[in-house]
Amino acid sequence: MSHDAHHAAIKLQYQPSLPIGNGKLCLWLFLSTEIMFFAGLIGTYIVLRFGAPPGTWPAPHDVHLVELIGAANTFVLLMSSVTIVLALEAARNNSSGSAKAWMVATFLLGSVFLGVKAYEYKEKFRHGIYPSKPHSSIYDKADIYYLQACRQRLEGIQKELLDLKAASPVEFSEAQKDQLQHCENVLNNLVKFSEQSAAGTTDVLRQQRAMEIVASAIYPRQHSANSYEHLVDHLAAEGAELLNEQTELRKAISEKKSEQTALKEKLPGLEKQEAAEQNADEKTKLTQQVTESKANIEKLAAAITVDNTRLAAIDGRLALHEFLTGDAEKEHIQHGLNDHPDYAFLKLPMKIPSGNMWASTYFLMTGFHAIHVLVGLIAFALVLPMHLGKRRAHVIENIGLYWHFVDLVWIFLFPLLYLF
Amino acid sequence: MDSKHDHGHNDQHGEDDHAHDAGGHGGVGKYVTVFFALCGLTAISVYVGSFMPGLRVSAPGIMWGAMMAVSCAKASLVILFFMHLKWEANWKYVLTVPASIMSVFLMLMLIPDIGLRTRWYAEERWLYAPPPLEKHEGHEVAHEEAEKSTGDEGNIFDKKTKASH
Repeated sequence: MSHDAHHAAIKLQYQPSLPIGNGKLCLWLFLSTEIMFFAGLIGTYIVLRFGAPPGTWPAPHDVHLVELIGAANTFVLLMSSVTIVLALEAARNNSSGSAKAWMVATFLLGSVFLGVKAYEYKEKFRHGIYPSKPHSSIYDKADIYYLQACRQRLEGIQKELLDLKAASPVEFSEAQKDQLQHCENVLNNLVKFSEQSAAGTTDVLRQQRAMEIVASAIYPRQHSANSYEHLVDHLAAEGAELLNEQTELRKAISEKKSEQTALKEKLPGLEKQEAAEQNADEKTKLTQQVTESKANIEKLAAAITVDNTRLAAIDGRLALHEFLTGDAEKEHIQHGLNDHPDYAFLKLPMKIPSGNMWASTYFLMTGFHAIHVLVGLIAFALVLPMHLGKRRAHVIENIGLYWHFVDLVWIFLFPLLYLF
Repeated sequence: MDSKHDHGHNDQHGEDDHAHDAGGHGGVGKYVTVFFALCGLTAISVYVGSFMPGLRVSAPGIMWGAMMAVSCAKASLVILFFMHLKWEANWKYVLTVPASIMSVFLMLMLIPDIGLRTRWYAEERWLYAPPPLEKHEGHEVAHEEAEKSTGDEGNIFDKKTKASH
C-alpha cells in the first residue's frame, strides 16, 4: 500500500516529451519520412528495372557508368561520415577549433562528391544521355523512326557544313571538309542505304537486319567485342547478297549497253532508208520505227543510269562494310561510331533498349540524392561561423544525423546503379 | 528520475546532459573501425559486381542478393554507430520501424503491378516494347528465359516475337 502511495506521488512529476531534444526528435521524424521517400524511389527503380523486357536493361557500360568513379564517391561519402562524427566528438569535448576543422573537412568531402557527380552528369550529357526529350537521343528500338532520326540529324549537320562552305569557301578548313565527308559517308552509305533496303523489301528479317546494322554500327550494346561480332555477322550476310546483286547489275548493264549499241548501229541505216523511201505508207512506218528506236535508246540509257546509281550505292555500302569490319580501326569501331574520334561529332541517336527508362530513374534518384547533399553542404556552411563548443553539440549532432542518412541512401544507390 | 526531471524543465540542459551520456559510447577508435568495416564491405560489393563476370551470367540472383545483403549490413553499421541508434531509448523503434515497414510494403505492392508487367503484356503491347536482344539467336535465349520464368505465359511472348520477325 505504501508502495502505491509512493507511485501516486511520483505521478505528479511532469514528463512532457521523449528523453531527447525537440530538434533531434523533429529531425528523426523528418528522417523517417525520408526513409519512405527514398524507399519509394529505390523501390520504383527496382520494379522498373526487373520489370523491363528480359535482357534489355542497359549494363553500366552501355550508359557510360564507371564503377570505380562510383566506388571512389562512396569512399568520399564514408570519409565525410567519419569526419562529421569526429566534429561532434570534438564539440562535445568543447574544443571548437578542432570541431570546426572536422566540419570544414566534411564540407570539402561533400563538395568533392558533388563535383564528381557533376562530372558524371556532364559525361552522360556529352554522350547524348539526358533524362528526357528533346535532348535525349536514346531510342528503344532500331525501327524506321530511329533511322529517320539518324537521317534528320545527319542532314542537319550536312546542311550546316554546306552552308558554311557556300558562305566562305576559303575559310572552310580541312577539318570541316573531313567532317562533311564523314557526315555524308554515314548519311548515304549507312543510313539512307538501310532505309532503302528496309523500305524495298517485305521480308521482316531483312528489314530488321538493315536497321540493326545502323544501330549497332553507331552504338553497339555493351560496348564490347561480343556485340561487334553481331554487327560483323549482319554485315557478312548483307555483303553476300550485295555482291550477288552487284554481279547481276553489271551483267544487266552490259546487256543493256550492247542492246543500246545494236540499236544505235541500226539507226543510221533506218534513217537513210526512211529518207530514201518514196511510198508514203512505208515512210510513215519507217518514221515510226526510227522514233521508237530513238525512244528505246533513251529508255535504255535511263535504265543504265538507274542501274549505275544502284551500283554506286552498293559500292559505297561495301566500302563502308570494309571500313566497319577492317582491322585498321577495329579498336574504334568496336565502340561504335559515336565513340569514334572521326565520327563522334555527329552525336547520332543511339539504340539502347530500355535506355530512356534507365535515364529517368538514374537522374531522378541521383538528382534527389545530390539535392540532399547540397542541402547538407548549406547546413555545414551555416554552422561553421558559430562557436562550436559544448552548447552547440546538439546542432552538429542533428546535422550529422541528416548527413549520415544521405550517406545511407548512397550506400543503396551505389550498388543498384553501378553494379547491378 | 532526476535526469528526466531535468529534461522536463530545461531542454537545453537536458540535451547537453544526454549528449554527455551518449558521448561515452562513441570514441574515435570505434568510429574508425566502423569506417574500415564499411570500406571493406564496399570492396566486397565492387568485387562481386565488377570482377566476377561469371556470376553475373550464371547466377545474377545470387550476385544481386549478395550486394543487397552487403548494403543492408553497411546501412546497419551507419545507423547503429554513426547515427548512434544503438544507444538510444525505445523511441527509436517508433520512428524507424513503421517507416521501414511502409517502404518494404511499397515495393511488395509495386511488384505485381509494374514489376511483372512484361510477363502479362497483351500481345499488342510487345509491338511497342523494346526488342530483347540484338541477334536473332539472342531471341531464342530470351524466349527460353521467359518460358522458364513465366511458365505458360512465356508462350505469349514467344508467339509475338516470332511473329514479328
